[in-house]
Amino acid sequence: MHQPQWGKACVFALVIIVLSVSAWEIWLRNHHNPLSYDDGKELWADKRAMVYEPQDKATVFIGSSRNKYDLDLTIWTKLTGDHPIQLAMEGSNPLPVLDDLAKDQKFKGKLIIDVTEGLFFSLAPGNKGGPQERIEYYHKRTPAQKFSFLVNRELESRLVFLDKESYSLNAMLDKLHVPNRKGVFQMPIFPREFGIVTFDRQNYMTPEFVADSNEHKKVTAIWEFFRSLNTDPPLSGPPLDSLMKTIQDDVKKIQDRGGKVLFVRTPSSGPFWMGEQMGFPRAKYWDRLLALTGCPGIHFADYPAVASFVCPEWSHLKPADAVTWTINLVDILQKEKGWVFPGKTVAQ
Amino acid sequence: MVFNSYTFIVFFILILILHNLPLGWKTKKVNLLLASYLFYAAWNPPFILLLWLSTVVDYFVGRALYRQENKHKKRFLLVISLIGNLGMLCFFKYGTFLLDNFVHLVNAIGFDYHPAKPNIILPAGISFYTFTTLCYTIDMYKKKSEPVKSMLDFSLFVTFFPHLVAGPIVRPPQLVPQFESPRKATQQQLSQGLLLLSLGLFMKVVLADSMLSGSANTVFNAHGPMQSLDAWMGVLAFSGQIFFDFAGYSTCAIGVALCLGFVLPHNFLFPYASIGFSDFWRRWHITLSAWLRDYLYIPLGGNRNGKVRTYMNLMITMLLGGLWHGASWTFVVWGALHGFYLWVEKIIVDIRKDKVQPIALTPSAEVGVLGPPPEFLKKEKPQQLRTGLVYFFPDQCNLGIFQGPGFPFSVGYAQCHVWRCGTCRSDADNPGND
Repeated sequence: MHQPQWGKACVFALVIIVLSVSAWEIWLRNHHNPLSYDDGKELWADKRAMVYEPQDKATVFIGSSRNKYDLDLTIWTKLTGDHPIQLAMEGSNPLPVLDDLAKDQKFKGKLIIDVTEGLFFSLAPGNKGGPQERIEYYHKRTPAQKFSFLVNRELESRLVFLDKESYSLNAMLDKLHVPNRKGVFQMPIFPREFGIVTFDRQNYMTPEFVADSNEHKKVTAIWEFFRSLNTDPPLSGPPLDSLMKTIQDDVKKIQDRGGKVLFVRTPSSGPFWMGEQMGFPRAKYWDRLLALTGCPGIHFADYPAVASFVCPEWSHLKPADAVTWTINLVDILQKEKGWVFPGKTVAQ
Repeated sequence: MVFNSYTFIVFFILILILHNLPLGWKTKKVNLLLASYLFYAAWNPPFILLLWLSTVVDYFVGRALYRQENKHKKRFLLVISLIGNLGMLCFFKYGTFLLDNFVHLVNAIGFDYHPAKPNIILPAGISFYTFTTLCYTIDMYKKKSEPVKSMLDFSLFVTFFPHLVAGPIVRPPQLVPQFESPRKATQQQLSQGLLLLSLGLFMKVVLADSMLSGSANTVFNAHGPMQSLDAWMGVLAFSGQIFFDFAGYSTCAIGVALCLGFVLPHNFLFPYASIGFSDFWRRWHITLSAWLRDYLYIPLGGNRNGKVRTYMNLMITMLLGGLWHGASWTFVVWGALHGFYLWVEKIIVDIRKDKVQPIALTPSAEVGVLGPPPEFLKKEKPQQLRTGLVYFFPDQCNLGIFQGPGFPFSVGYAQCHVWRCGTCRSDADNPGND
């Protein structure tokens, strides 16, 4: 009986795979697609494991997407000599992460919490799902998963097509924009250029995105879509009191161990900022939060140097403004809030 | 570690190199054993102690069982093995489930008992290696095969990494003889093994995890009602997902073993092309079905003690088979449903006295009935009802013939078409994604 030529078939298949994948990678690079890391639970867990670095050498950031866009990690390190550990997550409520850090007896570091009112003062389970999934993954991570992450890091650092958010089969299918039947819900898709992710979990907009007002409109339309979904009034009354109490307890746990906590209100602009002021009056939310927790806070509107940013899509800073914001943030922290960065002289 | 991970790719390349070095056979077996322990420890190192305990106890008890002629002592030894193996399985897999039920029971009869929630971690693959070691001791008890001569071979039989955490469930005569003489994959075996590994990874990663799980999760996690078309899509997607997920993983295991020169038994044989339920169970997770048949159904009496006992034995086997898949009542109900399906099929066969295939079910009906229940049954009751309505009946917009009491309300509710997305996973004994 004729025996199939298995060896030749394997080599042939291998050649086809290598050629097609190489062609795909070359095409992506030639079309100016920068490397973007998969900002999933694995990358988050990698950063979460770093929070135990000494207080005088690292600062942990939690919050929503604004912290990821607005804080330039390279500038932060350059100015402070401090290691920024970015644990903020897009579209999420940071309180599960705060709670996780509060319960972790080993965490005694500096913590900066970004307050995006619509997400922060919210009980919506959907806003907590992402953080909870990542926290659970971090605590249950296996040695095999840690090793896979290391291998993946090496590959992702070299190959654009491994960006799962944009170039996986499902992502490509989603981008086909096949019209749905009436009434079928589909999550909107952000332009890739809006959110390139570095290995340190900093997000940035590409120059092409910053320059293209049509792309801005795509994103502002998505904000409008999310706003239309949320018909609930802003949190108030006993549920807000209870939420504030939880935050107060968590902050106290960290402070009692010698940790430092500071709240920051990162910039927004245009209709977004107007809506936030109307929905979440400062006295009722921000001021109360600071008064209750006794923590220092930095609100962008209080500082003329950073009060008038124009966010391309109303909610996040473009890279150049992120540098300005970070420089001013470090300055305010040192001069006004008394934060000291012992590593500063070494870095400079 | 799992096959669909970078860790495994690195691990497997190193093992392949090591296994093809000019070393002695015993050294190669030691390498494979150490690699298998590393494979297991990469998930959670302390649980390797359980694996050792199971291996050592069953090796010595198995030998003693084979040599012991005294009936009472023999039974005593078997009981030791059963307690050791099933005790571990019960504690780790069913501990929380049993405690929850106990608490419900005592609360129902008036005792106010609320113990702390136990935090029991389920060791990867415990259901699989428990069945692997159990069949060895039972075989020794019945003297169905010779005891394994060396501890090394027995340890490797239990721990051999391709089948360790997700099967196929191997029997001693299938694997132990392969350890007794030097084995190295031929070029053809290596190519075929790599092909099976690639195919298995494609089934698992591309088809199950990427293409089908999203649709299945969306439908089964939907908080609102849905159209029958969507319900059917979800059901078919889930049927495809569980097949490609499990069969893909088994195919990987067979391929990996073949690359090293070892042959593992097939575990899936076109199950959705089966004709009838008993045929399905001969094609789906074949090694488990065969295990349940040989070590549960037949020892219970099989079909040798009259029709009533046969039906009872069938039901007991399916109930325990259901419980093996997951520690919750939904899996017990799922097993009961399958026991019931087998009853119906057997009744028809008995009436017709057919010697040919009993019931010809359409594939769609079959996957519909066989696929969804464990997930479907996890839902809240009103949701089950709604899902059931849209799943079992054609779209109500066109037909009024199924309308009965309460149905118009469900119909109106179903017309809202509110969808929400989410994620879920079916219960499994394997280590999850790593």
